[in-house]
Amino acid sequence: MFQLINTLLIGITSGAIYALMALSIVLVWRSTRVINFAQAGQALTSTFIGFQTLKYVDSFWIALLVAMIGGAIISALIEISLMRVLLKHSSSGAIAGVAPIIATLGLLEVIQAVITLIWGGADSIITPPLSNTGFTIGTNTLVFSPMKLAIIGIVAALLILLSLIVQKTSIGLSLRAAAFSPELARLAGVRVDAVRTMGWALSGATGAVAGLLLVANGNGSFSTASIEFSLLLISGFIAAVIGGLESLLGAVIGGLALGIITAFVLMYISDSLFFIAPFVILLLVLFIRPQGILGKKGGRRA
Amino acid sequence: MRKSSKKHSTQLSNKVRLLIFIVLGFLIYLLSNNVDELRVYQGAQVAFYVVGIASIILLTGYSGQVSLGQGALLGVGGYAAALSHLNWKLPIPLTFAVAILAAAGAGALLGIAAARLSGPYLAGATLALAVGLPSIANQFTALGGEQGLFFDVGFPPESLGEEFTQYKWFFWIASLATLIAIFWLQNVMRSRYGRTWKAIRGSEVAAELAGVNIARAKVLAFTLSAGLAGLAGALLAMTIGTVSPSAFPLALSFSLLTGAVLSGVTTLGGVMIGAVTLVALPEIVGTIVNRAGASEAVATNLPHIVMGTLLILTVVFVPNGPVEQMRSRRVKKEKSL
Repeated sequence: MFQLINTLLIGITSGAIYALMALSIVLVWRSTRVINFAQAGQALTSTFIGFQTLKYVDSFWIALLVAMIGGAIISALIEISLMRVLLKHSSSGAIAGVAPIIATLGLLEVIQAVITLIWGGADSIITPPLSNTGFTIGTNTLVFSPMKLAIIGIVAALLILLSLIVQKTSIGLSLRAAAFSPELARLAGVRVDAVRTMGWALSGATGAVAGLLLVANGNGSFSTASIEFSLLLISGFIAAVIGGLESLLGAVIGGLALGIITAFVLMYISDSLFFIAPFVILLLVLFIRPQGILGKKGGRRA
Repeated sequence: MRKSSKKHSTQLSNKVRLLIFIVLGFLIYLLSNNVDELRVYQGAQVAFYVVGIASIILLTGYSGQVSLGQGALLGVGGYAAALSHLNWKLPIPLTFAVAILAAAGAGALLGIAAARLSGPYLAGATLALAVGLPSIANQFTALGGEQGLFFDVGFPPESLGEEFTQYKWFFWIASLATLIAIFWLQNVMRSRYGRTWKAIRGSEVAAELAGVNIARAKVLAFTLSAGLAGLAGALLAMTIGTVSPSAFPLALSFSLLTGAVLSGVTTLGGVMIGAVTLVALPEIVGTIVNRAGASEAVATNLPHIVMGTLLILTVVFVPNGPVEQMRSRRVKKEKSL
């Protein structure tokens, strides 16, 4: 029983981080219809920005804020300098459909090499701001710690904030209009290019939070070669697909589902299934409900 | 339309093509006698990349599907070759055949799943596969775990003389296998299957109306492409002498895709461009960096930056590849005259 609760809590925490990555993938997908495979590289860059900030200031939370701003700026620059040109140039041709995928993969390679060049390949340490030792109930120690509680709180707050932005503000309205039909939105006076940049910036900030929380959830050490970050990309993508790629809430549900299922598989079947479990889950989802949990029928073909 | 009719008239007959390939083989033979050990080794690498890139061109360029997990299929081929050699003591040519069949089988399964997916979904699923599949090898002791298995094709036959080096032998095997594979692939592209894929690439709806079974054609493309990938995996395993999970990393899948884009995914004509770039670029950049006296970190990372930038620029400005670009420019010129 106690193990069950612990497994569930582990799953929810890692699921919350996957959910953040999924949110950042969904934001880009909604604004430009592109899956950004460089997202994990951008998250890693933002994490290093946070790491650099911590050398000058003492507060993890300020570093998080700086990383978010840095991530947003990088993401916006990528949209302006690369995606706009790309989508203008390769709207037709044999690889029009896959050109953005390939371009973002190239970007991932460049980003990884650049950050290795700047920060080196060795492990860097970010000390988690809160304790990572679990709460105790009676004689039992939960794996649930103040840090994990904070992670879940931050993810919940970000989801609410992003939902409010998308659903209630005029920026959100323009975002949705630009995603629904760029042509119509343009005619209605929406500055589609600016709105897309906005979507990418939001996504970059969200990815930055995912990166820093991922490190804080572990033992605090990370490097440019961290396998966790390739996993973060794949988990985020799978979570986004489970949620249907369109909806913010779906992304969070997908992330949590993926985190919990993976935690149970690792605990009760075999911990060596770490890499293969997400893949199996993705295939199952694509077969049973290709449009995702909250996706609409036909959305898959977009 | 005009373009395609013109192409028909200039298409080479099969006999001429066979002759060209034989001459090509002879040139490679001459070349192998006149270069040093390192170049021969790189030649074997180029050969393996040519097969790997061709497998992506077949898949992406001719049937419009994208796979980021080609490295995993190479892994299937490599392991199949090594296992059949170790356990059944099969002769080397047969282990290559086993590699092709095993990977093609895996590709068929993947293709059945992939026929339901498109664009980013397929890319993501194959990406997850590329990360997941090599880690399976750690699960089974029969697959050798982290260390992997040996794949030793043996010394070159004594009749070739004592001077004949191991790498030259690799190069010969790899080149022969590559020439045969590419010749076969050209035949397939010119067959009705090739035309079917081209029709699908042009317009799925139109092809379906013309009576093409889209799903079947796509699964077939996946299967054949995976078979080629399996051969590439066996060649890679031969060159490095072992198969292990770390021999087939995600980066391998990305390299092959990069090579395919640099070659141009719509035609086999440029396949050497990508393969040579993949092998030569790191060395060229490394030499320049060393000349400039830059640090070790720059020397290891700069090739990646150059390669990634090259990939992005190609996708943006020459999406169909250099060969197709020149051809379409020529056609345009003729039209304007």
